[in-house]
Amino acid sequence: MIYFDKVSKIYSPTSIALEDVSFNIAPNEFVSIVGQSGAGKSTLLKLLLAEDRPTSGKVFFESNDVHAIPKHELPALRRRIGAVFQDYRLLPHKTAYENIAFALEAAGKEEEDIKSDVPQVLELVGLVDKAWHFPHELSGGEKQRVAIARAIVSRPDVVIADEPTGNLDPLNTWDIIHLLEKINDLGTTVMLATHDKEIINSLKRRVVTLEKGRVVRDEQRGRYVL
Amino acid sequence: MKWGFINFFRNGVVSVATVLVISLSIFMIGGVIVGSSFVSAVISSLEEKIDISAVFQDTADEQAILFLKAELEKLPEVSSVKYTSAEEALAIFRERHKDDPVVLESLKILEENPLFSSLEIKAKNPSQYESISKFLESGRYDNILGVDANGQKKITYRQNQFIIDKLSFILSTSRKIGFSVSLILALIALMVAYSTVRLAIYNSKDEISVMQLVGASRAFIRGPFLVEGVMHGVIATVFTSAALYPAFWLIGRKTSALFGEFNIFEYFISNIFQIFFILLFSGVLLGTLSAYIAIKRYLKV
Repeated sequence: MIYFDKVSKIYSPTSIALEDVSFNIAPNEFVSIVGQSGAGKSTLLKLLLAEDRPTSGKVFFESNDVHAIPKHELPALRRRIGAVFQDYRLLPHKTAYENIAFALEAAGKEEEDIKSDVPQVLELVGLVDKAWHFPHELSGGEKQRVAIARAIVSRPDVVIADEPTGNLDPLNTWDIIHLLEKINDLGTTVMLATHDKEIINSLKRRVVTLEKGRVVRDEQRGRYVL
Repeated sequence: MKWGFINFFRNGVVSVATVLVISLSIFMIGGVIVGSSFVSAVISSLEEKIDISAVFQDTADEQAILFLKAELEKLPEVSSVKYTSAEEALAIFRERHKDDPVVLESLKILEENPLFSSLEIKAKNPSQYESISKFLESGRYDNILGVDANGQKKITYRQNQFIIDKLSFILSTSRKIGFSVSLILALIALMVAYSTVRLAIYNSKDEISVMQLVGASRAFIRGPFLVEGVMHGVIATVFTSAALYPAFWLIGRKTSALFGEFNIFEYFISNIFQIFFILLFSGVLLGTLSAYIAIKRYLKV
C-alpha cells in the first residue's frame, strides 16, 4: 500500500536525514518507526505527506508516486492520509468540534454528513463534553485526541502519527496508543513514529528501526532495541 | 464564506488594526482625489477668468470690428470671442452703477457715450495669449484699435501680461505637482495597507500549513481570508466616509476665504456618491488584493 523506494533526503552533506530507505507497508498494518531523535522518522512521514521532497528515490501511495502528483491534486491525497503530530497542530481559532469539522469541510462534505460524523468521532475519542472548547482550553491529552479525531473523521486509509505522545504524561500516552490500536482494529493502516521504548515493547507489532537515516532492523512483533 | 465572518470577529484586535490602516489609506486616497479634482476645478475656473480684451477707437467701423472678430475666431488658439458694442458697454455700465447717483449724473452731463466697443477674447490655454496678442498688434488693425495716452494700443494683455504669464505658470505647475503628489501618496498608502494585511496573514501562516496538511485545497483556504479582506474594505470605507465628512467641512470653512465661491465641502457633498463608490472600490480592492497576494506566499506546503 505504501512503498518507500530507495529514498534519500539530504539537507546538506553534513545533515543526512534519510539514506537509501526502502520498505513496504501492507494495508491494515500497524507499523512503528523507531529511532533516536534525528534518526529520520519525521522526515519519512513528511515525505509521505508530500510536505517535503526526497533528494532521490520515490515514495508510493498505492500506485501513485507521491511526488509526481501535481500540486492541485495534493489535497486529495492528504485527505486519504490522516496526520497526527507531536505538537497537535490544531487550528487555534476553532473549537474542538470545528477543528474536526474542518477536515470534512475541506473535503467538500455536506453539512448534514458533518453534523453526524463529527459527534461520532468525538464519542470515539471520548471528548463529547469538550466539543465547544478551544484548543487553549484543553489539556495536552485532550488536544491530541482532538487531533486524532480530525485525522480519522474523513475515514482515511492511513493514519500517520509523528511522536503523538511526545508531550504527554504516561496515562495520556496509553490513552492515545490504545486509540491508535482501536483505529487499526477498525481497518485503518497506522504508521507510528516514536522513541518510547515501553510503547514499542507492549504493542508487539511490526517495528522498523532507523539509525542515522538508515533502516537497521525491520521485524514483525518487534522490540525496542538500540 | 461563513468562516470569513467568524475569523473576522475572533481575530478582534488584528481586524481592527487592519481596518484602521486600510481606512487611513483610503482616507488618503479619498482626500487626494477630492483635493486634486477640487484644485483642478479651481484652476479651470481661474483659467476661465483670464481673457484679453481689445478696445477700439470710437470712430472704428462696426463692420471692421466684426471682420476682426471673425478673423480671430479662425485662429486655432482662440476658444471664444465676444463683441461688446459701445452702446452695450454703456448699458452694462449703467446697470452696474445704478445705485450710484454721482456716476449716473456725470453720464448725463457727458451726453455722448464715453465708452468704446471692445472684443473679449478667451484662449483655449493661458499660454496662448501671447500669440493672440501678437496677432492683434501685427499692424493690420491699427486703424481701428484704440490707443491710450502713451500711444500704447489698448490691448489688456499688454497691461496684464506679467500677471497672466505668472498665473498660467503657477496653474500648470500646480497641476503637475498635484498629480505627482497624489500619485506618491496613493502609492505609500497602498504599500502600508499591504504590509499590514501581510502581517495579519503572517500570524496565520502555521494555520495555513496545517490546513494544507489536513487536505484543504488552496481555494478553500484562501476563501475565508478573501471574505475577511472584503469586510475590512467595506468597514474601512464606511469609517473613512464618516471621517472625511467633518474633515472637509472644517477645511471648507477654513479655506472659503481663499477660494471665494468655491467650497471644498460643497464639492464633496455634491459628489458624495461618486466619492463613496471610489472609496468602496479602492478599499475592497486593497483588502482582497493584499490578502490574495499575501496568502499566496504561505500556500507553499
